[in-house]
Amino acid sequence: MRRIPPARAGALVGAVLLVMLTSPSGFSQEPRVIRVTAERFAFTPSHITVRRGTIVELRLRSEDTNHGFHIAGSEFNAIIPKRGRGDATLIFRADNVGHYTFECSKMCGAGHIIMRGTLTVEE
Amino acid sequence: MRSATTVATFAFLGILCLTADRAAAQTPEQRRIDELERRVRDLESQLRELLASAPPKVSDTSDTVTEDAAEPDVSDVSDTSAGGQQPVPSLGPPRAADETAAVSRTGPISGYMDFHLNKPEHEDPVWDFHRFVLLFNHSFTDRIRFVGELELEHAFVSGLESSGEVELEQAYLDFKVKPQFNLRAGMLLAPVGIINERHEPPAFYGVERPFVDTFIIPTTWFDAGAGVHGTIGSGWQYRGYLMAPLDTTKITAEEGLHEATQKGFVSNVRNVALTGRLENVTVPGLTLGASFWRGRSGFNFRQAESSVGVLEFDGRYRAGPFGARGEFAHVFVGGAAELNDFLQRSTGVSPNIASQMRGFYLEPSIRPLPRLRQDLAAFVRYENFDTQYRMPAGLLPLTQFDRAAWIFGGSYYPDPDVVLKVDYSIVRNRSSLFRSIDSFNVGLGWWF
Repeated sequence: MRRIPPARAGALVGAVLLVMLTSPSGFSQEPRVIRVTAERFAFTPSHITVRRGTIVELRLRSEDTNHGFHIAGSEFNAIIPKRGRGDATLIFRADNVGHYTFECSKMCGAGHIIMRGTLTVEE
Repeated sequence: MRSATTVATFAFLGILCLTADRAAAQTPEQRRIDELERRVRDLESQLRELLASAPPKVSDTSDTVTEDAAEPDVSDVSDTSAGGQQPVPSLGPPRAADETAAVSRTGPISGYMDFHLNKPEHEDPVWDFHRFVLLFNHSFTDRIRFVGELELEHAFVSGLESSGEVELEQAYLDFKVKPQFNLRAGMLLAPVGIINERHEPPAFYGVERPFVDTFIIPTTWFDAGAGVHGTIGSGWQYRGYLMAPLDTTKITAEEGLHEATQKGFVSNVRNVALTGRLENVTVPGLTLGASFWRGRSGFNFRQAESSVGVLEFDGRYRAGPFGARGEFAHVFVGGAAELNDFLQRSTGVSPNIASQMRGFYLEPSIRPLPRLRQDLAAFVRYENFDTQYRMPAGLLPLTQFDRAAWIFGGSYYPDPDVVLKVDYSIVRNRSSLFRSIDSFNVGLGWWF
């Protein structure tokens, strides 16, 4: 069996370490991924709690028709594709402590207006 | 320790060697690759800048509706791109909802349609454009909204009997106060059972609505009223309304409460009814609900008071391709003996109104295909519904109205909002004289 010279081996190990250490990540902090399912007329989970400073990545999926996900009092609004057509993703940093209401922003049926939930950012 | 130092030294030297080696051996192709890499890096940094002012990422935009989508609030970008990091828009401090409402806005018209072919046993088949429904919504501010639902049943309306109906099923103002407490008033859907508030054709299996949701719970059950609603705790929703009561003189032995609603047509509110629903969606895939109705209802015969009470429990569960629904409803008619006596003296015929009615169903289903753009579902539903469950003293139950039904069927969804339904309904009753009628049904339904 052919033996790898120590210098070449050291170089390879160093290169691998270097690649690992400098590998770019999307954010300075790993986002907290929260999967939310939308279905007439509720979000699951309907109550989300995160700590202040967390980067939140909401992965929104529908089990039926198009829904919307709007955080009231903000401009964050995503349209969730219909069942089987992929996810919508909302990414934000939760910098402020407080209670937010999120709601469906796309008319989805007779009970559309009751389709709401709360996001709590705590210290 | 010494060996670690040796490895680190080798690693450092190795990297130097590789780098020097690479520089020395640079060919025209290599220089071209380097140039392309430089351009990619430039494009990457330009893309990051663009992302800072772009809408939130939607992973699949092929079927995305954008008319309601607003731009994200990126005015406060707290995590900058320093060090090559992607910027993350910050969620600003919680604000009262109406602070952001600049102007009133009217949402696009939505609606659903239900087109049926019904072939009852031993009868001619019929085409029936059963429902044509349009929904309207308007936001005066982020706190005050209007929702309206206008329905045309059976396509044609005239002043004669056996014609269609135009119904204003919903028309209310909703006042958003806070998540736990909101107000609404106008024409409301009674929050009872699964189907009454979720009756879009792709949202339930079977061409026709379940018998229990027709005779025991009179869907679509709507009337004038006002009330509160909100979300509490983790996954709880509630609704509580005061609504116009049912008209007990319209209860029948065969169809139970089906024709007993006042439908907001100059509804008598000498006594209002109280109704409410509590729903839980804490466990993913599982929805549990309970609802009630209670109201004095004898405004059309004042010799004695009558009332209607409804207790209802339901559940829906979905795990992978499997799903199940169940519902149980029990109706109590107070003053049924006096009511029968009054109607018999008025019309000459005893209506045989029961003092209690009961119904339940269980519906397992499967969607065997994975999440594709087109979908298939198969279901079987067992229903048991008895509109003569308990009779007042002196009256015997009509056993032909103690019924059970098996409904077998399937649904094909070329789009999640479009459904082609086929089912066969087998109905049996306890009478030895009267036979219930089976039927073959095909339905085309859509929501937009």
